[in-house]
Amino acid sequence: MKTGTKMTLLALAALLALLAGTALGSVSIPPGDILAILCARLFGAPLPPDIGPGYPAMVLDMRLPRVALAFLTGAALAASGTVMQSVLQNPLASPFGLGVSAGAGLGAAIVIVTGLAAGAMGNVILPAVSLVFGLGTTALVLWISGRIGRGNGGVTIVLIGMVASLFFNAVMDLLATLSPSYAQRINLWQLGSFSMREWSAVWVLLPVTAAGLIFFCCQARALDVMTFGQEQALAMGVDLPRVRAWLIGAVALLTGTSVAFVGIIGFIDLIAPHVARRFFGAAHRRVLPASALIGGTFMVLCDLAARTLTPPREIPIGSITALLGAPFFLYVYFAGRRRERL
Amino acid sequence: MLEVKDLCCGYGGRDVVRGVSFGLAQGEKLCVLGPNGSGKTTLLRAVAGLLPRRGQVLLDGTDAAALPRRELARRVALMSQLSPVYFSYTVYETVMLGRYPHRKGGLLDRDSEADRAAVRESLERVGLWAHRDRPVTELSGGQLQRVFLARAFAQDPAVILLDEPTNHLDLKYQLELTESLRAWTARPGRCAVGVFHDISLALAFADRVLLLQDGLVRYLGPADALDRQTLTQVYDVDVAGYMRATLKRWE
Repeated sequence: MKTGTKMTLLALAALLALLAGTALGSVSIPPGDILAILCARLFGAPLPPDIGPGYPAMVLDMRLPRVALAFLTGAALAASGTVMQSVLQNPLASPFGLGVSAGAGLGAAIVIVTGLAAGAMGNVILPAVSLVFGLGTTALVLWISGRIGRGNGGVTIVLIGMVASLFFNAVMDLLATLSPSYAQRINLWQLGSFSMREWSAVWVLLPVTAAGLIFFCCQARALDVMTFGQEQALAMGVDLPRVRAWLIGAVALLTGTSVAFVGIIGFIDLIAPHVARRFFGAAHRRVLPASALIGGTFMVLCDLAARTLTPPREIPIGSITALLGAPFFLYVYFAGRRRERL
Repeated sequence: MLEVKDLCCGYGGRDVVRGVSFGLAQGEKLCVLGPNGSGKTTLLRAVAGLLPRRGQVLLDGTDAAALPRRELARRVALMSQLSPVYFSYTVYETVMLGRYPHRKGGLLDRDSEADRAAVRESLERVGLWAHRDRPVTELSGGQLQRVFLARAFAQDPAVILLDEPTNHLDLKYQLELTESLRAWTARPGRCAVGVFHDISLALAFADRVLLLQDGLVRYLGPADALDRQTLTQVYDVDVAGYMRATLKRWE
């Protein structure tokens, strides 16, 4: 199949997932009604009279922002994962390995235990502080690895990132233990959720994700070269220290922003790039958009499962991504292997 | 074309290469010889600008240290020792990456006619054009080595630096690789420096020899004038005697 055809199919799948995510839930809304509501909102077309009275509010204020947030988060995490794996030449690398999530988690925990999260500005302060902490932790990790890592940048960054993550996670656990009344809230934040469903989060995440993706695509060739190792990248003309710092900075911003709104959602950053490479080869100008689409689609479907499988209780989204993702990943990976061998 | 003056370089404050100077004219092929730990690879990496160094590396009179990475990569290519590949690029895509320093980059960057022609010519030189759609992760060590040589060709530099390019290769491919390198350097404005382990192959490839011992130059001159005594001293074994004994077996 041609790359263009595959990409079109992927985009169609993404649209279908977005539609399903908006249509399904405690009340099912027919797709036709969703389109009518959207047309009414966007183009001022008159709303057909037979649409249920609660539908417009449900679609516009609850389902759509939630689905959009899930899609953007999935896309941002998947693209960040792709970049990290290439920058560190490690197929198991993840943006969370930079300490972004642990730092953001600590920031969120501090906001929660000081009671600021429950205050009037809580919905702004919590993501803002956790983003600052996430970026700060990444900067710290890069600074330390820059000082001690000579000529072996990739491995040093992974190691220091792991140490920083463990340390900040421990501090967060300590905070949770010392203030038991907030422990559950911290714990829930760690598991991740899209239940906040606010447009404001979408309007922050959309431009950040779009800008990040465009930047990554501009660096697609450099990323290709970097997968062959530092020495070869330098010898082929990549200004490695500068390019790597920019890429990691962008990854931290993308991951940090999404973590700040929805908490820590693992697995998608790891599997989406591998699934994308299975179907689109290794070149980044194809893998980056493909993994963003795959990550977004997969996240929307996981969120749909999270809120519809065990009503009225919601399953934490992080558990769903792992529950559905692990077998799916194994299937894609090994099905591909077997076909190649025959 | 390439001039190296009083080059010193090392790791962690200790110099491994201590004051090496040599010059290379167009069309020349220099091989760097020496026992393990004599500083061959370090010298090559320092010339490529991958290690902090003292002394000068001049390219057509320009100080290489003053050139931006991309500009340097248009003039000097390095073929490193074989390292594992983790991502399944095709052979064609891998060689196309050699064109990186010649491209503008950005969102709308596409392979130009010149890029495609350079990649095809490079792949034909190493005899891998028929294998262009195979993923590099499935190649044998020897094939991968030739892919990397083709990538260095595609970079279209004036100088190619090679770090033990014939490791992992069968004799047939060792000879083919040195032959395609000789053909490449025969074009005007090109020269090559290779670090070799195999002394016979090195002498078959190069017209000049740089012999290193403990980071110092023990011999620099034409390949045919390298004498038995110097080799014996540097390698601490009667190299020429060993070669003769080997030859007897075939007579």
